[in-house]
Amino acid sequence: MKGLHGIVFSYEKRNDLRELGEIRSASSIPFGGRYRAVDFALSNLVNAGVSDVGVVLHGPYQSLLDHLGTGKDWDLSRKRGGLKVLPLFDYQKRWGGPSAFRGKMEALAGIRSYLDTIRQDHVVLMEGDLVVNLPLSDIYENHLRSGADITVVCGNDSFQTENGTYFEADHEGRVTDVLYHLNVPRGYRGLEVYILSVQLLKELVDDCTSHDQYSWRKDVLQARRGPLDLRCYIWNGFAAQIRSVQEYYDRSMQLLDPAIRADLFCRERPIRAKGADKSSAYVGPDGRCLNSLVADGCNIEGTVENSILFPGVVVGPGATVRNCILFKETAIGKDAELAYVIADKNVDVLAGRTLMGHSSYPIVLAKGSVI
Amino acid sequence: MKKECIAMLLAGGQGSRLYVLTSDMAKPAVAFGGKYRIIDFPLSNCTNSGIDTVGVLTQYRPLELNSYIGSGQPWDLDASTGGVHILPPYMGSKGGTWYKGTANAIYQNMGFIDLYDPDYVVILSGDHIYKMDYASMVERHKKTGAACTISVMEVPWSEASRFGIMSVDEGDMITEFAEKPKEPKSNLASMGIYVFSWRVLRKFLEEDEADPASENDFGKNVIPAMLAAGEKMAAYRFSGYWKDVGTLESLWDANMDMLLPESGLDLLDETWPIYARSVNAPPAFLGGRSHVSHSAFNRGSDIEGTVENSVLSPLVTVGEGARVSYSVLMPGAVVEPGAVVEYAILGERSVVSRDCHVGGTPEETAPEDWGLTVLAPDCHLAEGTRVRPGTMLGKNGEEVSK
Repeated sequence: MKGLHGIVFSYEKRNDLRELGEIRSASSIPFGGRYRAVDFALSNLVNAGVSDVGVVLHGPYQSLLDHLGTGKDWDLSRKRGGLKVLPLFDYQKRWGGPSAFRGKMEALAGIRSYLDTIRQDHVVLMEGDLVVNLPLSDIYENHLRSGADITVVCGNDSFQTENGTYFEADHEGRVTDVLYHLNVPRGYRGLEVYILSVQLLKELVDDCTSHDQYSWRKDVLQARRGPLDLRCYIWNGFAAQIRSVQEYYDRSMQLLDPAIRADLFCRERPIRAKGADKSSAYVGPDGRCLNSLVADGCNIEGTVENSILFPGVVVGPGATVRNCILFKETAIGKDAELAYVIADKNVDVLAGRTLMGHSSYPIVLAKGSVI
Repeated sequence: MKKECIAMLLAGGQGSRLYVLTSDMAKPAVAFGGKYRIIDFPLSNCTNSGIDTVGVLTQYRPLELNSYIGSGQPWDLDASTGGVHILPPYMGSKGGTWYKGTANAIYQNMGFIDLYDPDYVVILSGDHIYKMDYASMVERHKKTGAACTISVMEVPWSEASRFGIMSVDEGDMITEFAEKPKEPKSNLASMGIYVFSWRVLRKFLEEDEADPASENDFGKNVIPAMLAAGEKMAAYRFSGYWKDVGTLESLWDANMDMLLPESGLDLLDETWPIYARSVNAPPAFLGGRSHVSHSAFNRGSDIEGTVENSVLSPLVTVGEGARVSYSVLMPGAVVEPGAVVEYAILGERSVVSRDCHVGGTPEETAPEDWGLTVLAPDCHLAEGTRVRPGTMLGKNGEEVSK
């Protein structure tokens, strides 16, 4: 059957996410006031008409499983196909340890039988920590038209991201070099979104397995470039990879720019998310809320500026919240003062507390902590 | 599949006293309290009360309501047995009729009710804002052994003549019922919520249908007939927040009540959540020069201007320098920069263009001229339009009299 199948990888351990990444994979990190990172990959796929998606899991995936549910929120709860979660079968492999997947090819080898069940003739591989709104159906058409073996989606920048992959290309978009572990990034920043035929993917997985090769970047992109025609698709819009606290913070704050929001939340390709049954947000008579994103059910009696508030955040009277990101149901007590703080879910900052981070080092408060 | 108790929700009324707001949709589909529609309240009450089978009787302009209810999933009513069912009037081999009245609507759906063979049927209407545990009402119904239990609440004596009034004995059993009495004997008003023992109701519905003089209405015909026949009728006292939002003024009032937890309408209380089908949109954005105070707002909204004492639904835009006060903005309403909206209800997707002035405050208006100002859904005002207080404009900007 013609069409695209989606495979989303959600198993990498990102140590630079500090407290945010200890309890969950990067894919289920809350982002943008009401989303989880993986909502973007899933919505990108669904908006391109993809009906079958596999999510490859490893590590503390409870939070992600809870979020994904049956896939209903993305219309992926289907009689045939739909969402399939694919946890690692070998329980000996410890997350983040030396014996976890050594690379993407090994992860794919682990779901080799699943690859045989794919009904579509093409597949798009994505990371669950990519925040973007890609026109995947255009990219797919482009892939078919170009005759490339693998289309590599890149951001139009060399922005430094943890363990990023960078591509150099000629004027026709043919990849001329694949780079990683760069001291100073150059070339186009890879978004780790790849389109190729299912046939080719299976051949590559089998060939790599039989040679004990495991790395997609080293053993496929670098080693097989030449025989394989790799082409870049350059995406000029917003594309954030959530791999460190700093990246998380900077990228989140960019959402306060209306042009970035218009790009990421464009109406033609809506980003779908699990709904929260909260009532309306409310700003009290003495509350002040400026230049901020505010989700449902927030209750603001104090002052909020340049911040992102997830559902059900409470900011008490006299409290000041500036340049902060507060996850679901965080409560900021009376007269407390916060700046440059990322508070995970259900954090309780008691009355009168002061917490000051800096844009170059935001303070992270772990889930459920009481300050 | 037998169910002990099912609910039938009367949602077919036009809601003519909401005028332009219901010109294209049934009253239960009208937006309320920012993120809700009126029907969310009875549906959520059902699911919170453990009633998993609900028939929704529709008749007037059902498109918006049908698509809103959909599979019933937002209210957890998409069960494989039971769940929510839309029940429109239908044709049979010997013809068919519209629903002639509330009782006839239930009569026409006896087949649906019989499918579940329930002991009790809860009859609800789709135009009230309240949180209520129907299970405890059914409990009282069982305990008293009544054929019918009617929920009642105390209203001020001065207003009692506007309601259906119950007189009760010391055991709160109903002794008399009077529809809008000139000289009320009691101040216990019917809230239009009934629990019936299905077997008894079935008999009375058949008798009511056979009576050509009957208006086929619960309040006017069936309840008095049951009382006259000596059936045991119980009152169930309710004391929380309850409001009939059948008029523009009461709809506006109830929205304002939502801003004040003291009113008793506490939507933040998560032990009794009100569910809604939500739109897919990013969180609301409050701009750097916005000023929002004592107001509720919702996702997908972009607020750059001033918003005071107002309730904003999802996908609302308030431009820079615009001012919205004491108003209710329904989903998708747009207030362009520099416009002023006071004491108004803006229908869905209505547009108040630059420098328009819609409505006015009671302080600045002569009392005889003042009233709420209402724009119909999709009404698009040209730049600089002045809409006087108390006016109502239709979809094409024409004035509609109340």
